[in-house]
This record gives sequence, C-alpha cells and structure tokens, in this order.
Amino acid sequence: MDAGRIAPQRERRARLFLLALLAALALVLLAAYLARPEGVLVRAAMPEQGGWLPAELKARVGEPLRLRLISEDVTHGFAVGRHDAPAVDVNPGEYREITLLFDQPGKYVYYCTRWCGLNHWRMRGTIEVVSAGQPGSDGQAAPAEPPLYLQLGIDIDAPHPAAVVPEGRPRAELTAGRISGLPEHYRSREYYLSHSPSQAWQALRQEPAAQALSDEQLWSLVAGLWQAQTRVERLEFARQQYNQNCAACHGAQGAGDGVAARQMADGAGSGPVMGMQGHGLQKPSSFADPGAMLGASPALLAGKIVRGGMGTGMPYWGPIFDDDQVMALVEYLYTFQFDYSLEVKDE
Amino acid sequence: MKGVAEFDLAMRSADARRGWRARRFDLAALPWLRPFIESRWPLFVTRSLALAGLVFTILAGLLGPRVGSHNFAIILVWIAWWTALKLVFIPLGGRSWCSVCPLPMPGEWLQQGNLLGGLQKPHGLGLRWPKKLRGAWLQSGAFLLIGLFSAVTLTDGRVTAWVLLALILASVGLSLVFERRAFCRYVCPIGGFTGPYARFAPVEVRVKSSSVCAAHSEKTCYQACPWGQYPLAMRDSAQCGLCMECLRACPSDNIALSLRPFGSDLGAAHQPRGLDEAFLALVMLGSALAFSAVFTGPWGWLKSAAYQVGSLPWLGYSAGFLALNLLLLPGLFAAAAWLHRRLSGSPAQLGKIFAQQAQALYPLGLFTWMAFTVSFAFPKFYLVAEMLADPLGLGWELPGLAALDFGWLQQVGPGLQAAILLAGLAISLRLARQLAQASVTNRSPVLAALPVSLFCVVYTGWVLWMLVG
Amino acid sequence: MTKTSLHAVLPWLVLALLAALVLLLPLPVAAAAPRARRFRIEASQFAYSPAVLRVNPGDQVTIELAPQDVVHGLSIDSYPVDLQADPGQVASLTFTADRPGVFKLRCSVTCGNMHPFMTGKLQVGPPTLLWRSLGLALVALAAALLPRFK
Repeated sequence: MDAGRIAPQRERRARLFLLALLAALALVLLAAYLARPEGVLVRAAMPEQGGWLPAELKARVGEPLRLRLISEDVTHGFAVGRHDAPAVDVNPGEYREITLLFDQPGKYVYYCTRWCGLNHWRMRGTIEVVSAGQPGSDGQAAPAEPPLYLQLGIDIDAPHPAAVVPEGRPRAELTAGRISGLPEHYRSREYYLSHSPSQAWQALRQEPAAQALSDEQLWSLVAGLWQAQTRVERLEFARQQYNQNCAACHGAQGAGDGVAARQMADGAGSGPVMGMQGHGLQKPSSFADPGAMLGASPALLAGKIVRGGMGTGMPYWGPIFDDDQVMALVEYLYTFQFDYSLEVKDE
Repeated sequence: MKGVAEFDLAMRSADARRGWRARRFDLAALPWLRPFIESRWPLFVTRSLALAGLVFTILAGLLGPRVGSHNFAIILVWIAWWTALKLVFIPLGGRSWCSVCPLPMPGEWLQQGNLLGGLQKPHGLGLRWPKKLRGAWLQSGAFLLIGLFSAVTLTDGRVTAWVLLALILASVGLSLVFERRAFCRYVCPIGGFTGPYARFAPVEVRVKSSSVCAAHSEKTCYQACPWGQYPLAMRDSAQCGLCMECLRACPSDNIALSLRPFGSDLGAAHQPRGLDEAFLALVMLGSALAFSAVFTGPWGWLKSAAYQVGSLPWLGYSAGFLALNLLLLPGLFAAAAWLHRRLSGSPAQLGKIFAQQAQALYPLGLFTWMAFTVSFAFPKFYLVAEMLADPLGLGWELPGLAALDFGWLQQVGPGLQAAILLAGLAISLRLARQLAQASVTNRSPVLAALPVSLFCVVYTGWVLWMLVG
Repeated sequence: MTKTSLHAVLPWLVLALLAALVLLLPLPVAAAAPRARRFRIEASQFAYSPAVLRVNPGDQVTIELAPQDVVHGLSIDSYPVDLQADPGQVASLTFTADRPGVFKLRCSVTCGNMHPFMTGKLQVGPPTLLWRSLGLALVALAAALLPRFK
C-alpha cells in the first residue's frame, strides 16, 4: 500500500480541490448577494418582538418606494393609512415586494392589517414623504381641520350614559305622515353628528308634531333619522373594516367580547397583556349596550376612533382612516342598536 | 466467574461467528469497488462537498429567514439530514455518517498536517483522552443537554447554526489537544446515536484472519486508525468510523469491509462495555419518548414550556425531562434487571446484569427513533422541496420542485410507524430471550426473560400510544 | 432438523394464527348511528383546544376554528379540511368522517417557531391501529417467551 508516504503531488491536488470548492462557495454567495432584489427590507414581527423593523421609512413625492416585506413569526399585513395602495399580507418567511407612490408630502403611518396578538394595534411605523424638489422640506402636511369633536367641544373621555333607552331594538321607520310637522333641522347632517340618539329622542318627545307617537314609535323615528344619515353603500366596507380592525376586541357582534377582550384587564390595568401592564387598560366598550351606545353622538364616536383611548388599549386611527372611512365606521356601529331592515349581510 | 455452560455457549457462538464471518460478503473484495475504498479521494471529495454544504448551512442559518419552516439550515439539518441519518445511514451503515461527516474535518486536517495523507506525524499536543472521561457518560450528558434546548434548536435557524459552529470549534480544539478523534468518540452527541446503534447495522470492518495479524508486529492499522481502534481486538462496531484507513495501512490485505446480518454485535456473546453504554441506551429511549411527546403530541402547553428556554415552565419541562431520563427509565430498568437476577439465579452483580441486559434496548431504541422520525419528518417533506426550490430564501422558484406532492407520506405514516415499532420490539424481545437463555443455569429462561421483555413491551406500548394512538 | 415434530411447531402455528386474528379480526365495537357533531376549536400558539376530537365513522363533523392570538389554520391529514382565520373571526367547515382511524390536526398557517409542531388529533371510531399494534406486541412477547426446542 502507498499509505506510508504522503505523496506531495496528491496533497497539492487535494488542496487545490479544496480551494476551488471554497472559491465556488464564495462565488455562489457573492452571486446571491449581487442578485438580491432591490428595495428596502422591512421585517415584521409581533410587537412584543419589535414590530416593524425599520419602523421609520423615508420617501419622496413622485418617486416609487420599493419595499420587500417579510414576517419573522406570524401572519402580518401591511397597509399605509390615508393611502390608496391595497393592503398586502406579510407571511412568515416569504418575501413580498410592493411599490408605493406618494403624490402628497407628509407623515404617513403604515400598520399591520392581520391580527397578530394582543398588541397588534401597536404595530405601526411611519413613512416620511418629502417633496422631491425641496430637500429641505420637513414633510409637514398642510394643517388639517381639527376633528369634529374638538370643534364641538365634546369631552370624549367623559362617560356618556343615555338618559333614555328603548325597550327593544328600534326598527327604523320613516313614515312621512308621522313626521310631516317636524322641524327640518332634525334631518340635517349637523344635528345627526352632534347629537346622541337619546338626546334626539328627548328633543322629539317635546315636539308637538310627535305628541301622538308612543315611546316605541318615537324610537323608530329616531332610528329612521339615523338610517337616513347612513350611507348604505358604505356599510359593507365598514363591516369589513370593523371585522378586520375592531372585532378582535369589540367582538363581531359589538358586545365588547372579542377574543382579545378576554385577556385584557377589567379596568384596573393589571391584565396579562404581555409586558404592557399598568397602562390603564380597559375592557373594550360594548356597542350592543344601549345605555352607553345611545348616549354617544357620531362626533363623539368618531373622536374616539380618531384619537384613540390614550392608554385604555383603544388605538388611534386618525392617521390611518380618512374622515369618510371613520364616518362609515360610526354609521356601522349604530347598526348594533338600530334595525335598519337593510340587506346587510351578517356573516 | 463464568459457568461452564455459559463459557461453552460463548465459545460455540464465537465459533459460529467465525463461521459466519467466513461466509460474510466482503465489499472490499469487489474488484470494481476496491479502488474506491482503497483511494482516499472518494471520501475526501464527499467530505469536502459536505463541508462546503456545512459552511453554507451555517451562513443560511444565520442570515436566512427567522421562521424555521423557511430557513435552509432548519430544513436541511432537521428534516433532510435527520431523516437520512435515522432511516438510512444508521440502520444500514452504522457509523457510515461518520465516514462522510464534515464536522471534524478542519480539526483532523490540522491534526494530520495534511489533507490526504492520513495520520502520519500528528500535530498538536496529542494527549491521551483522560481515563475519567472515557466511555459514554459525556455523550449521554451532551445528549441530555441538547434535549433540554431541543425545541429552540429545532426551530430557530440561528441556534442551529451556532450549535453547528460550536461542534466544529469543539472538534478543532479537541483535535489539537488530544490524540485522534477524541471529539467524535467521547463528545459528539451525534456519535452518541451512531455509535451504539452501529452494533445493529449490517456492515462491519474486521480482520480476515487473526493469525496474519498475530504475525504482524508493527500494527500499522492501529497506527493509522483515527478512531484509535485495533481491528483485531475490535469487539463491536460501536467505535469504527468506516474510514477504511486500516485497510489502506494493512500490508497483507487482511481487512474486510463485510456485510453481515442485522444485530450481529448484540447478544449473549458480546459483553457490553459497561454501565455508561447501558445508561446511554436508556437516555436514547427517554429522549425519544420526550421528543415524541413534545413534537408530535397534542399538548400545546408542553410545546410552549419546551420552547420558552429560561422561563418557569421550561424549568418544569427540564425537570420532567431529566427525571424521565435519569430516574424513571433507569429506575424501571434497574427493577427489571434486579428481577432478572432473582429469577435467573445469576450470581453476577446487579450492575453487570444491568449493563448486559441493556443490550436488548438497542434495537428498541433505534427503531423507536426511526418511527419518531417518520412521524416527525415525513409530514414536513414538502418543505425540503420548497427549500431546494429557493435555497437562499430569496424568493426564487426553481422549477419542478415546489410542486412535488408528499401527501401520500402522511397516509402511510401511522401504519409505517407501528410496523417499525413492532419490528424493533420483536428484535429486542428475541435478544432479551437470548440474553436470558445465556444467563440462567438451571432455571427457566422464560421467567428470566420476562422482566426485560415486559419493560420493552410497556415502552413500545407507550410510544405506540403517543405516535399512532 | 429433518424431522420437525408437531410438538415443536404447534405453538408457533397458534401464535401465527393469533397474530393474523389480531390483524384482521373486526373489532367488537357497537356501530353508532351517524350524527352531526360540532366542535368549536380555539387555537392559540401552539395548541388547539380541544386538541382531541372523537367522532364515529359517518358523522357529519362541523369544525369552527376560532384563533385567539394570531392567525392560525387547521388541516387534517387525509381529510380535505383546511381552515384559516384571524383572531376575532371564525372559519367553519363541515365534512363527513368517512375514513376511520386517527388523523393529525395540523396548523396550516405559520404561527411562530413551534408552528410545525402545533397538532391535535381527530379520532374517527376506535383507535384500531393502536389496539391491533398493542395486540401484536403481546403476541411478539409470547413468541419470544415460547420454550425453544432443539
């Protein structure tokens, strides 16, 4: 046998082979690195694990922003608030590429659209969009009109019990004869926005034109007024938004009993919300409770949605939904109280 | 103190083994295969490729997606390699994986001072492995340690990569301090699997004629063996890495690489090495049980506990895992050994009997791991196809791979698992009976075989319940 | 070994017969009339609750998947079942349990690191594979303990 000697030639060949192999490996890695797709890598993780990484992006007006999205744990979703790009799913371990285009400068908020745990709503990031021509522009959007609840001076944190509640679930009726003598302002958008159903009921009770109506009929009238302000064609959109963004806490039927509600603290803020104790978390409101819901005006509800609960666990949606979308949601919320007899699919 | 009958039996079976051996099929004698065995090139090339793959795997583990089911390292190591190791390399080739394993290569090259020259003038300190650390104790410990962190290692590509890196570094370090393959023999947890179960495998490297060896005083085969084995004295294949250096070193062509019947190294004629090996066999059984419960059972709390390393539930899981492996199974088996001693009337010490009877556990353990592998890896095979279609996790879709259908694997799974478990049990029971036959003098071997047999049946029933029940 | 006595062969024959019986004999299980069953399965990382569903062959099984923390899925080996749902929403599906046996439920949406091992089981009828296997194990024990004749 020849094992007794190291044959220098064979040894050289072996070393050459090994070097070639290493070089090939390095080449493969280099090629993979060079061939990597363009775009800013954005990783999504459950908020307890860091949420979006990075959580701050920059873009220029009119210049496409290419993003490569990947989730590191569970199913997430990506959407930009007040922007018309459709939401995309961000699946674990799979790259998802999207291109965004902004035509207005400003600070945009991107957020997770698939429920990813109790702190899902904390999973947000910002895109600062500056005008292409003015590098110095700080990207401040034109100051928006203050929200309605501020204009009306409503304290959205104060309790808002309904002074009166109906016996059952009022069915909307708009029989023209019964409300013929009614002052026109009850039917205005302004009245609707700034009054709660129970306020409207109390005011109507005093109206001579409504003297003949029973209490129950009067509730039907209120429901009718509310239905008249509801854009039926937006209800389906609102229902989807509600199920996607609200149902996990407030429950699909609005009863405040969503899956996340069970794990939240009741008022004291001592619940087992992962790493988030002591924040004054509250049980989600029930929209099925007439005592609270009929005491809330559309402006108040819109204010709560836009501003959020400031530590109660209710997220703020101002940077995400535009006014129209917020109002659609508010209109949808009243369907938990009023029977509009509409063809609204329930499942 | 051997009884006459026992001695006689041992001699007879030794003769029988020699008779067998003469009839065994020597792969190295095949003219077309011989050059591939004699040359160092085939294994060197294979291992080099494996090493390149290992480097790539480590990088992919560190840089790839954090989600285990999309990380190259996780899928390659824990689904593809693991399945190959459990279902092919070990049952058919014993330590055959060790012959192509890339982990100790860098260390071995440094130790040899060359790539292709074999063990000539060893570099490094070349110390002998400390006596106190010999045997399988360290491996059992390494195995238990891995068991405690298994849920994280199996699902996190970064952890898998660090474990692989740590194994390489450990092997390099140990190669430079100690002689030969100290890492592989005494530390490597994979060796903890492959070594003991190599006794069952149908391949062996042995001398052809002992008289030829007796006349050869240089013992070049021993000098050349990276595993420190002397082929003539080799009692079983547990520490033979099938590297074939002995064959290359033998001046008289007296080494055979033979096919043999399954389980040839097990039985009454084979004295086990000691309690350490018996203990390792029990640790294998215990970990198979624990992993089946964690990874294939319906108990979500157990999965979370095993995963949240460092948390209170994890401490509970660890305590349970260690109690199962260190107390429950060894205790049960000790009781079986004690009963066996009473029933057989054997004068041997309990420890000896414990070690001797534990041989019956090897087929049981090997087949349980195989069944567990079928249960654990078969349903995930589609991930291997997905991974091969996009090895770098860059969103590629190499054609034809991701569409492969592995649904049928799930359908045959349960029946296959039951068949494997029952086959292992049958072999173990036969072995237990054989061992009992050898240790009784004038008592009933049936009664003497009962305790260990019952241990095997109860264990199999337990695993069956978890895997297919 | 030219002459094998009946004495030596008989026990083996009996055992072989026994093994065949264990493998093939229909189990004495009262056939229950098929009925509709409804399971609401709450899914959370990394468990189903309930995790074990027991039904009889022929039952109409309705499964409602109600994830509690993150998006989960549910598929069943050998059954055409695959559900996915977000927390707060429920996905449901009805199928006929026409394949007897024990089948694994598996999460079909990656839901974290231990996702590949998030399982449960659907037991349609008695676990015959387990029973037959245990029976065979006992037959194997008997075979191993049989007296050996030279």
